[in-house]
Amino acid sequence: MPLVNTRLFFSKTGRAKYISHLDLSGVMQRAIRRAKLPVWYTEGYNPRLYTNFMLPLSLGQEGLREALDIRLIEEFPHLEVTKRLNIALPPDIRLLETAVPVYKNTDIAFAEYEITADIDREKFTKFLESEKIITEKKTKKGVSEIDLKPHLTVISVGEKIALRLPAGTDLNINPRLVFDAYGAQSGEVIKNIRIVRTGILCADGGEFK
Amino acid sequence: MSENLYKNTEMMNRLDEFLPDIQKPARYIGGEPGSVIKDKSAVDVRFAFCFPDTYEIGMSHLGMKILYGLKNRVPNYWCERVFMPLPDMEEEMRKRGIPLYALESLDPIKEFDFIGFTIQYELCYTTILEMLDLAGLPVLAKDREALTPIVMGGGPCVCNAEPLCDFFDLFVIGEGEEVNLELMRLMEQCKKDNSPRSEFLRKASQIEGVYVPSLYDVEYNADGTVKSITAKDGAPESVKKRVIRDFDKVYAPENFVVPFCDIVHNRAVVEVLRGCIRGCRFCQAGFIYRPFREKKKETVIAQTKALCENTGYDEVSLSSLSTSDFKDIEGLLSGLTEYTTENGINLSLPSLRVDRFSDEMFQKITDVRKSGLTFAPEAGSQRLRDVINKNITENDVMQSVKIAFEGGYTAVKLYFMMGLPTETDRDIEGIYDLAKSVIEQFYANPDRKKGKAPSVSVSLSTFIPKPFTPFEFEPQAGEEEIRAKQKHLMEYAADRKITISRSKYDVSLLEAVLARGDRRVGQAVYLAWKKGCKLDGWDEYFDFGKWREAFSECGLEMSFYANRRREYDELPPWGHINMLVSREFLINENKKAHEGIPTKNCREQCSNCGVSQNIGGEICRAIG
Repeated sequence: MPLVNTRLFFSKTGRAKYISHLDLSGVMQRAIRRAKLPVWYTEGYNPRLYTNFMLPLSLGQEGLREALDIRLIEEFPHLEVTKRLNIALPPDIRLLETAVPVYKNTDIAFAEYEITADIDREKFTKFLESEKIITEKKTKKGVSEIDLKPHLTVISVGEKIALRLPAGTDLNINPRLVFDAYGAQSGEVIKNIRIVRTGILCADGGEFK
Repeated sequence: MSENLYKNTEMMNRLDEFLPDIQKPARYIGGEPGSVIKDKSAVDVRFAFCFPDTYEIGMSHLGMKILYGLKNRVPNYWCERVFMPLPDMEEEMRKRGIPLYALESLDPIKEFDFIGFTIQYELCYTTILEMLDLAGLPVLAKDREALTPIVMGGGPCVCNAEPLCDFFDLFVIGEGEEVNLELMRLMEQCKKDNSPRSEFLRKASQIEGVYVPSLYDVEYNADGTVKSITAKDGAPESVKKRVIRDFDKVYAPENFVVPFCDIVHNRAVVEVLRGCIRGCRFCQAGFIYRPFREKKKETVIAQTKALCENTGYDEVSLSSLSTSDFKDIEGLLSGLTEYTTENGINLSLPSLRVDRFSDEMFQKITDVRKSGLTFAPEAGSQRLRDVINKNITENDVMQSVKIAFEGGYTAVKLYFMMGLPTETDRDIEGIYDLAKSVIEQFYANPDRKKGKAPSVSVSLSTFIPKPFTPFEFEPQAGEEEIRAKQKHLMEYAADRKITISRSKYDVSLLEAVLARGDRRVGQAVYLAWKKGCKLDGWDEYFDFGKWREAFSECGLEMSFYANRRREYDELPPWGHINMLVSREFLINENKKAHEGIPTKNCREQCSNCGVSQNIGGEICRAIG
């Protein structure tokens, strides 16, 4: 019987934004077990329920359409997967859609974010227009300097600030960096920042499916 | 799902302002699967169940899960969880004026009807005060005047609750499943009638198992010992521990609140038996949880299945004081492993006694997954094991270790106590000798893995005399004595495959003082807390200097409580509490200990501990 690759799209909002990426896999695995889905376990001495998150989400940030892959050991109605998982999941994680994966996680190139924060919009707009936005970025190798400007697409600055930033396996930029850089430059203490990832996109700007 | 489920958006927004900067914020936000949210307008009695330690510790505790499920089953009662925030969180809360809140509703607990603490160990006393203060409540019971909230406590420590009497309105002595609901019903009525607090407390004191400390006057002798304890306002002269008579039918949760983050014991837990047949003379649990009762095998299996399915856990453990004393343990494990193996669930069995560690049983637990092996011989020599009534022989230990090594284990952990009554240097040497024999056992196995060395870690704690044990009369060994014993062992021990770790004496001393303290000790607890003590069970927060100051400022000697032999005819501070085990039995056991005479376990022969005489013979199921 061939394994059925299956992609789960879900939202992670409210209280669930405080679940770390590491803990989220446990939360999802237990929900899948509660939902009694015919899922595939890894082989070996300690079999584990296979889950593969497409793009980690930072602790404290909300996601409106996150993606996770599982494998089913038999064909199973997608609507039933969605329904059962919504019963099993905590209220602040909602299963939006179960689908056949179209793209690979390496196809992910961007993510879009909506941010609200108590900052001076005018000053912030000027800041976004500056020639360079230099900040520090932590990587596995340590801290390095990066210019955010060429990577940043400003969609709108209003009540909500909408940004598009690189995401995925090659380069991933946390929107928090933009605001940290702004805070450092302006001296403004950024309060009540709320970051929501609204979508995950491929290189051509199309929705990750 | 009902539309009216309560949502505290305002508090959520206040928390959102700073939670992202707090360590592991998932601990402070609730919303986990299995947590119970109700329609607040349809709730009549609210209970804040507080565990005076961190989320990770408290969420691992089975008693809380039982009482949480039990109370929330009643439609108009709502029980919520509360834990002690770590300093980074507490500091922000205080700075922002956010009082201690419950995880389900995010409502401040000072609005609740009951604030109930489970008191599992003495070193959490100051944390209780800190939580009350963080909740915005006066920590002293006398300063709380309204009907609600009532601050109550339960758990093993309240068999001597005297050092906590200043802070609590009432204690539940014994098993809580029935009493908690009775108290909530009483509150429901008192709220309707607009009764004053005093009337609630007076009525509560009439419920079996409820101890209202303000209804008892204590007088002292010139030498500091207790002279008399007098009940007033119709409170019973002696408060009798509550016991669940039909343990097989008692409520057991079929679902848990499953945490978002990792906790100490992140798994399903099923209780298989209560009480213990062993009667180890140092062990408080072995006496205060009597009588011995078991669940039916079928009940345990059904509860295991339900719990695993509802929580989604892939690990389950059986909980009891001594799981291998379950009469049909082989049958139980066969039934359980049939289910767990098929469903990829890891079954773990803590608290197995070495003398019942058979080949067959060993096979069953290792079928699934290997974990470390721990044995608790408690004392190094047979003579001393007879004194403490830990009825296992060196041969028993060796047999079990042999099976373990043959099964592929290489690491063994051994637990011992120091400072036991009658202990000599020869007994101390026995600790090392036993560890050494374990190493030799490894090399005696012809099939051992070549190139693998065994490791034995010896963990030494200091003996703490506890109320309601045959050793409640014993002095705790002084610091110098313990140091000398430790030094002797370290000089005697030579093998590097044996690592020896010791517990801190200060911690054991404080535990001993609080365990057998009287009401006056409450003043020291209060002062220690005022000086900043909290989370005393955590090495990084424990500050013994402050405790020492607190005791000397209120004119109390720690040694009076910890290091003094107590006469059989001395009235103990807990003299008005009846834990069902008779004082005559404890005295007799103490005498036998000094003569080195062991007592048979309850299954071999009833030792007439007093429990059956107190509650009727049919409840104890140790025999038959």
